[in-house]
Amino acid sequence: MTGDTLSPLTREFFTCLARGGRFAEDLPVVSGEAGREASGTRVRFHLRLTGAVVAEARFQAYGCPHTLAVASWLAGELAGRRREDLLPGSPGDWARRFEVPVAKLGRLLVIEDALRDCVAKWPADTPLPGGRRKMGA
Amino acid sequence: MTDVRERAPVYLDNAATTAVDPRVAAEMAACLTEEGVYGNPSSTTHVYGREAARRVEAARAEVAALIGAQPGEIVFTSGATEASNLAILGTARANADRRQHLVTARTEHRATLDPVRQLEKEGFAVTWLTPGPQGRLAVEDVRAALRPDTLLVSIMHVNNETGAVQEVAAIGAACRAAGVLFHCDLAQGVGKLPTAFAGQIDFGSFTAHKIHGPKGIGALYVAATARPWLAPVMFGGGQERGLRPGTLPTHQVVGFGRACALAKEEGGADAIRVGALREALWRSLAHLPGVSLNSPLAGGSPAILNVSFEGVEGESLVTALTEIAISTGSACSSATAAGSYVLRSLGRSTELAQSSLRFSLGRFTCAADIERASEAVKRAFMRLRSVAP
Repeated sequence: MTGDTLSPLTREFFTCLARGGRFAEDLPVVSGEAGREASGTRVRFHLRLTGAVVAEARFQAYGCPHTLAVASWLAGELAGRRREDLLPGSPGDWARRFEVPVAKLGRLLVIEDALRDCVAKWPADTPLPGGRRKMGA
Repeated sequence: MTDVRERAPVYLDNAATTAVDPRVAAEMAACLTEEGVYGNPSSTTHVYGREAARRVEAARAEVAALIGAQPGEIVFTSGATEASNLAILGTARANADRRQHLVTARTEHRATLDPVRQLEKEGFAVTWLTPGPQGRLAVEDVRAALRPDTLLVSIMHVNNETGAVQEVAAIGAACRAAGVLFHCDLAQGVGKLPTAFAGQIDFGSFTAHKIHGPKGIGALYVAATARPWLAPVMFGGGQERGLRPGTLPTHQVVGFGRACALAKEEGGADAIRVGALREALWRSLAHLPGVSLNSPLAGGSPAILNVSFEGVEGESLVTALTEIAISTGSACSSATAAGSYVLRSLGRSTELAQSSLRFSLGRFTCAADIERASEAVKRAFMRLRSVAP
């Protein structure tokens, strides 16, 4: 009785669901989301910023195992990234990495949209350490 | 040494198929080898064939007895899907010049829906009935749908996803009063509920593998009075009174017969025991946040419990449940992203339809299985809920 339909990497991230959930309410975060339950996929990312970079990320997701696994992995990849290079690769890259079936590629686009929503909501003049402000982005 | 059953996932997908009862398997095995009854039952010129034919007819009597029919009213098929196709396509095409209206429900199995849709393409008019939220059709709605040109009503006994039970006798009476043929998909009812429907229905489809018999063998009950209305849809040998050609698989027929005999002898006790386990499972899950029941607790199948888990997606829940073998909705619709069409037809939202699980119990399900399954579901559900938006 074997034959897991998930790749080992997908199974690993789906089983752990690391960085799932949200931050405490009093922490300043940037959040972005996309999708809806009725369409089968809804994803939200929360980014805790330190200056102009992501200090830590969390995710929330409703969707298939691939969606949850990729979102969990991405949340780990976001730390240290800046607004202008927030996305770690493209949905195609993620699909190859996690061996996501072609029929589910649309779900990865929802994840990408959630990250792009984070970028859109990330204040352009993010405060930098020492009280300086970084203008534009 | 650890018992295999302790390590293997708990099997709660008995509505999809069941394990063959060892008593059935033993009789089947005796029909396969050179020492056994391996002859072609149509080859009555020699003893091998005649013995096979004798065993086939004995099995036919056992199958007939389960639904209160005469042996001559049983036509062996490859399963319930083929039986339903034969009943629906066979009556429609034989009588298309006289009547061209069919009645069925949106919550039927695809073995009914697909041939009916095919006939719709071929010019038949179809009235699609929608059951109430609990999955039960109002008999009055069936009666109201009948027209002077109605040929056939096809309504299932027990819904394969929710376990809702239809009033077969009353629907059959309404059809008889109107001179309309009535086909009933009995696949999920036989062996679990009383199904002595012979005389109340014209055609009945059922299969061995839902009652701890082998896959690949089923039957269509054809009431003697309904036989003139039915024409074959396959040709090539004249077996089964000209309705279903092809060499009968003696071992499968014999297994089907034994499975039916066991269901007749033990089905009542099995249903009481399984029904109690089903209730225990629901009691253990009912307090979880966002959980709702899609099966009727009273008056439904004792073997099926369909539950929606709001806020988690069904595929993820099933995938997380590595300790349980289970389906989202029916096995036949598990791959559909939109969720169960049955639940959506009953008014459930797409989200709830996507987040439903069907637990289906069988003869070999035990209390320890239910406890283990319940704990696994609770763990997986709460874990997925913790990351839900």
